[in-house]
Amino acid sequence: MATAGTALSLVGRPPFSLAKEEYDLAVISGEPVAATEKALEAIGGISRFVKKGQRVVLKPNMSFARTPDFSATTHPLVVATVAQACMEAGAHQVLVLDHTLQRAELCLERAGIREACKNISGVHVLALQERKFFGEIKIPQGKVLERVEVFREILDGHMLINIPVAKSHSATGVSLGLKGLMGMIWDRESFHSQYNINQAIADLATVIKPQLTILDATRALASGGPGGPGEVKKTNLIIAGIDPIAVDSYGVSIVPWYGQSFKGRQVEHILIAHQRGLGKIDIDQLKIFKEKV
Amino acid sequence: MRTIIQAVSLLLFSVFFVFATYKLPNWLPADIYLRLDPLLGINAVIAAREIIGRALWALATVGATLVIGRFFCAYVCPMGASLDFLDFLFFRKKKRSGLKAEVSLRKTKYFLLVVFIVAALTGLSLAFLMDPMSLLTRFYTFFIYPLATTLINLILDLLRPLVEALGWVTLSHLHYFQSVYYMSAITLLIFGGIIVLNRLVPRFWCRYLCPLGAFLSLISPLGLFKRRVSEDCNECLKCQKACPMGAVTEDPRGTRLPECTQCRTCAKVCPQDAITFPASLSMGGEYSKVDFSRRGFLYSLAGGLGVGFLAMKTPFALQQSKHQLIRPPGAIPETEFLRTCIRCGECMKSCLTNTLQPSLWESGFSGLWTPKMEPRLAPCDQNCNVCGKVCPTQAIRSISLEEKTHAKVGTAVLRKEMCLVWAENKICLICDEICPYNAIVFRPVEGYRRPVVIASKCNGCGFCEQRCPVKGESAIVVTPNGEIRLKKGSYIKEAKKLELEFKPDPGDDKFILEESGFKVEESKKGGRSLTPKEKPQPKKPKGFL
Repeated sequence: MATAGTALSLVGRPPFSLAKEEYDLAVISGEPVAATEKALEAIGGISRFVKKGQRVVLKPNMSFARTPDFSATTHPLVVATVAQACMEAGAHQVLVLDHTLQRAELCLERAGIREACKNISGVHVLALQERKFFGEIKIPQGKVLERVEVFREILDGHMLINIPVAKSHSATGVSLGLKGLMGMIWDRESFHSQYNINQAIADLATVIKPQLTILDATRALASGGPGGPGEVKKTNLIIAGIDPIAVDSYGVSIVPWYGQSFKGRQVEHILIAHQRGLGKIDIDQLKIFKEKV
Repeated sequence: MRTIIQAVSLLLFSVFFVFATYKLPNWLPADIYLRLDPLLGINAVIAAREIIGRALWALATVGATLVIGRFFCAYVCPMGASLDFLDFLFFRKKKRSGLKAEVSLRKTKYFLLVVFIVAALTGLSLAFLMDPMSLLTRFYTFFIYPLATTLINLILDLLRPLVEALGWVTLSHLHYFQSVYYMSAITLLIFGGIIVLNRLVPRFWCRYLCPLGAFLSLISPLGLFKRRVSEDCNECLKCQKACPMGAVTEDPRGTRLPECTQCRTCAKVCPQDAITFPASLSMGGEYSKVDFSRRGFLYSLAGGLGVGFLAMKTPFALQQSKHQLIRPPGAIPETEFLRTCIRCGECMKSCLTNTLQPSLWESGFSGLWTPKMEPRLAPCDQNCNVCGKVCPTQAIRSISLEEKTHAKVGTAVLRKEMCLVWAENKICLICDEICPYNAIVFRPVEGYRRPVVIASKCNGCGFCEQRCPVKGESAIVVTPNGEIRLKKGSYIKEAKKLELEFKPDPGDDKFILEESGFKVEESKKGGRSLTPKEKPQPKKPKGFL
């Protein structure tokens, strides 16, 4: 199964099965904890992905020293629920990592994720702001990027679960799972100043492949992103799937961004990633498990 | 016994110093040693011509000295403790024959005290140059603290492979933020010089130079405890040689009371056990007088006035209101700020982001070591208000986070000719992305989406200036323009009066499809493109409806 692969290998994405039906996405409406639990259950349980003794990296967005109500960071309870599930599935340890934009201490304190995870043993919430915690990988299929420095844990073969928050972004339109991967690299500035950011994100997605993406759309920052403050919409959704493009594409459809409705295809970096064969973009062709809890 | 008290005091000083950092609890006076220093208090109160609440703590030191005598130097002063410790380390085996000019050198500290107080009368804060508490805090801030961080991180790096092997995740990712400062070298040189002087005589600094010691010695002869030598004295003069302050007179039975710090070294070395320190109400007779000449007094008076004149009557002073420095949020108006600040460096130590840096000559002699913000290096974080909390003279006011948010330090100015978006048409949004107040918005300008600063929403925090990816100078810089400097009263009210708004709110980003990450299919674009095809009509002039 794909789950045995490391974060770096090209993994196949078999649709998961539930009640003898196969789904690409689980879209659960409800409160953060209940919806996350249901989403995990709907994709076949976390133990499909996390094996005993495995080391797991969770990548939420906690880049800003904002409290969760700004919707600039992933909801702490969503992260805690996933972390707890990983530990219960027998993970050796869970590292919750992000390369924060503001001072690490403040981000950890404000985003609330460290607080939410503090009582789960084996779970460590860390903000990495030093180059020594990053290591270089090559991007063989890169169009604009040849190499990039990413968290060393990714090189060490930790299993990766991406837990982005749904928000608008003034350069890339939206910031969901793919854009969230930028939080794992050392030099994020160059994406803005040096490269075409949309191409660079797609390049990054060819080498950083989360085994699972859980989009926290319990609320969505529909404008003013990525840092906020902006318009926060109460969407009450958790969107989980193996295909990162499918998750992002669905994420684009849930609210109007900056007052306008869009499709995944209209978001340049998602479209580019799709065109590079990284996943499905047309959500009407996806099999989606929907439920309200 | 004395050594233990000294060590405890130095340790306490260091602990309070370490505590002066983000998340300092409100009840903890991390600046307590600086508050207890009467010289700094007098200096700030006279120079600012105002009673400063925190400076009143120094009355405790004054009171204790009046009652007990000049014990502070031997027991409490962390500078004295450092000198004693380093003296023991470097010079204990060196032969030191004492100085011939002892008598006249001893007067120096009184002259310096006069110079500093007279300078304060002219409105110049100068005591910081030689006040031991300010000096030592500065040395800790600009040298010890960065050095300690480096060493700790080095040890962590060396241990990392081991820690990783043991699976201690948090420890293996531990790294302490390295603060760096301008003027570290100068500060080290000054402190090093003071230590080297010990080679000549023990406690050279305290004997001859320390203006705080001078002040305390002036009020010490009233103190209860005084050295007494009994009949058993055989005039071996051991006490005279051992006294670190040179307080034992030619006749070993006499004591220069103002110089005596009651360290009791003499009692310890006396082979006859002839020396005691009983409580006595006597004034100490002929030796209680301070060595001081009228001529020297006049000279130092002139010196103080001279320094005051040179420092105050310069173009720097005339340009104080037009200075280019970004002061920390809550800093009182510039003239008062320069008079009140005692340059201890505590604000710069405590600064969470390391944006606060010492000034060298940017605002002249009267601005030496004063804190300024250096936004290109680091921003001021909206969640931190610790610089005011630790300011011992409240030259930076201790204000709540809400108040601090409104204490505007300046305004960001976008330099279009350097901006990647304006000048090179690149997709860069970093200033907008990072701005905590949504003061930077993208507006359609002649068909292109361009970042603009909304001055009334910018409080000068400097995130934009720091993050701007342009090499060298930032394309967006914070200028002091629009800063709010209040001596008292609410920044929130002032900001409201000026119709400023720093409350995070959604902002009014105008989003233009073609320039964004969203792609619009050609067919759907039609006529409802958000990009204005014609040039935007100029609005009516300001003030017309």
